[in-house]
Amino acid sequence: MNDQPRSAINAEDDWLDAALRVEGVAHRADYLDDGGFTARIMSALPAPVALPAWRRPVLLVLWALAGLGMAFALPSVVLDVTYDVMRIVLGQSVSFSGIGAALVAIAVATWAAAAFVLRDD
Amino acid sequence: MAEPPLSDAELIARVVVRDDRHAFSELVRRYQSAVRTTLRRLTSGNLALADDLAQETFMLAYRNLASFRQEAKFSTWLYRIATNAFLADARKRKEELLGDRDDELPDDEGAEREDDALGDSELERSASLSMDMARAMAVLSDAERAAIVQCYHNDLSHEEAAQVLNCPVGTVKTHILRAKQKLKSRLAAWARD
Repeated sequence: MNDQPRSAINAEDDWLDAALRVEGVAHRADYLDDGGFTARIMSALPAPVALPAWRRPVLLVLWALAGLGMAFALPSVVLDVTYDVMRIVLGQSVSFSGIGAALVAIAVATWAAAAFVLRDD
Repeated sequence: MAEPPLSDAELIARVVVRDDRHAFSELVRRYQSAVRTTLRRLTSGNLALADDLAQETFMLAYRNLASFRQEAKFSTWLYRIATNAFLADARKRKEELLGDRDDELPDDEGAEREDDALGDSELERSASLSMDMARAMAVLSDAERAAIVQCYHNDLSHEEAAQVLNCPVGTVKTHILRAKQKLKSRLAAWARD
């Protein structure tokens, strides 16, 4: 059992607490020079995953082959879809602004698809 | 005009989304000192071990950066990884550490202050106290030392320290209480001043 008076215990606590806080302030002010540490870490990181150079042309060829395969395997479906699309499009009252908007939409869709396929990752 | 430095969150996003190595090197540069000094405290001044553990800390941070949820500060998250690396290593080395620790202390001196050897200046007194404190810290258990380092040296709240140490707040307080009791007994001569 501790027989010290309470005030003495508190004084001791305060003293230790103050000493620890002083140590803490010194610790936080203590700046270690990098000295090549960051370079060592960076050289130890795993190499970046590099995708093979042939990936892009192969993907483009595969998309083209898939389209052609679809056309040859299901010619009637492809023709029906084409005719239906043309009927819907030609059945509309066409204006120059509508044609322009359609062309812009097609260009955006094409660009987005190409950007997705050819993206850097 | 120079661009303002990117925030931690921006750098982290660049690393996670684009595997931007330059952004990660900037994070390492920002926090290497804090992590290494913390590990030096935790390892009681073993510089080589502290730097090995710091390297392990940043490698783990790189691998797990996508899981960092930004609920805590990035530095708190790093301290957690560093402390876990230290505790895991300490468990591996436990026999060596426990066997050698007391032998490393100077005979009969411990943390006792020898008044005759001390100069009068405040600087000498402060340096002497700092050395005795470092010796006294070495006798704490790994968990106690980790709690003191996080709360006093890294200035974390009990709640933040609990996050870093992955334990309840009550356990942090208990570790600190026990650590202070041990420090008090080791540094008793200083308290009498």
